[in-house]
Amino acid sequence: MSTIEVRTEGRQAVVTGPPRLNMTAAPQLREVLAQTVAHGSPQIVVDLGGTTFVDSSGLGALVGGLKTARQAGGDLRLAAVSDQVMTVLTLTSLHRVLRPFPTVEDASREW
Amino acid sequence: MTEDDRVGALQRLDVLDSPTEGRFDRVIRLAQQLFDVPVVAVNMVDARAQHTIAAVGMECDSVPRADSFCAHTVQQSSTFVVPDASLDPRFAHTALVAGDPHVRFYAGHPLHAPGGQAIGSLCLAGSRPREFSALEQRLLGDLASWVEEELVRSDERLEAEQVQRRLVPRRPLGLEGYDVAGGGAPARSVSGDFYDWHELPDGFQVVLADVMGKGLTAAILAAGLRAVLRGASRYNPLPIALQRVAASMTADLDETGSFVTMFAARLDPETGALEWVDAGHGLAVIIDATASTARQLNSEDLPIGAIDDDTWQSHHEVLAPGETLAVVSDGILDLFDEPWDAVETGRELSGVCATAQDLVDEILARAAHHVVSDDVTALVVRRNL
Repeated sequence: MSTIEVRTEGRQAVVTGPPRLNMTAAPQLREVLAQTVAHGSPQIVVDLGGTTFVDSSGLGALVGGLKTARQAGGDLRLAAVSDQVMTVLTLTSLHRVLRPFPTVEDASREW
Repeated sequence: MTEDDRVGALQRLDVLDSPTEGRFDRVIRLAQQLFDVPVVAVNMVDARAQHTIAAVGMECDSVPRADSFCAHTVQQSSTFVVPDASLDPRFAHTALVAGDPHVRFYAGHPLHAPGGQAIGSLCLAGSRPREFSALEQRLLGDLASWVEEELVRSDERLEAEQVQRRLVPRRPLGLEGYDVAGGGAPARSVSGDFYDWHELPDGFQVVLADVMGKGLTAAILAAGLRAVLRGASRYNPLPIALQRVAASMTADLDETGSFVTMFAARLDPETGALEWVDAGHGLAVIIDATASTARQLNSEDLPIGAIDDDTWQSHHEVLAPGETLAVVSDGILDLFDEPWDAVETGRELSGVCATAQDLVDEILARAAHHVVSDDVTALVVRRNL
């Protein structure tokens, strides 16, 4: 099983992505993101530093989290995105809304 | 058979990243009773590790190849038996033998992909030494072939394949002065890819779309999308048609956690004027008559269902005589390191393909070499010289 960690601090949360964000891990991430927003932290940074692979199901989970976060007045940002993941984000133009930052610290500034 | 070939076959089967949904449970429990062993597992072996995709008596986990018995089994032509691992120099010091769970007995039968590559093993393990007779080896082999069949087929895939087949346009477009073709790679894992074309009151429309996700859900959403788009396109400009599609599919897409990438274009056959929208698809290209340049049709627009109340922009191009519009689906997400490689490949192929159908077939054949788990669909519109 993949491990998805969450650290919350008030309205902000950092969620650690699984090594392979695929059909197996996507439902779990989706659930974690929904719970994080439900518990009052809709400003989410998803740390993809340890994630080497994202497929379409994984993108779906991120997009789902983004929608939920925005509905609660927050947003969802990405940190430490790998080349493979960046290619996928650019191809789909999703980098426009799932904004990638170099590090978790960068992503956590200026909400 | 090379190791790359073997690992490639494993990736194409798409078993590592898909839930097995209990498909192997029966055969595993049967093996456990038949051979009276505590542990039975279906293990896949890739370049670096052994991955357990179904098991009884152990966790579904991954272990490094160096600790894997099954990594040896995939090199064998028949059952691989280790009667007492603690006496076998190849295994005595490995983690699972020297430490917990102190494996002593192991028997594994190689599992093959449809192309014959040994990709994993149906294996038995126990903590007491034991012999494994020729009869038992044959039985294990029989159970392994059962697992092999299950690896490549499931009821859901069969159903989804049927849904997907119905998505293909039934008639050729019959567009004078143009050669139009589309096709999809034979469905290994069913996805929400489709292509479509139809005549409108003021021109012709071609579409290639991909509902993210796999299996029956994606295929059914694709069928719905195709119908809604056909209806909305008839009376609306292209960007508005996409908005209508988005509005009517938002609930379904939210619920399934999916979204849609789409390229759609309207063609005025007289002038070659092409109005197009791209919803996060990013994989459309126009190749000139001599196949020396390719211009990508890039947009900044998002996939349908990515955010609420989104809008899409029309762009304009002209398909000159001899030019070719080629659109492929994003099997690319699992495919090339650089999607631009695909553009270059498409350009080169366009130069050597006499017809749109040839080009579609060539693209699909190339993609079949690379694609890991998603299917590839291609659509080609070539204006005659």
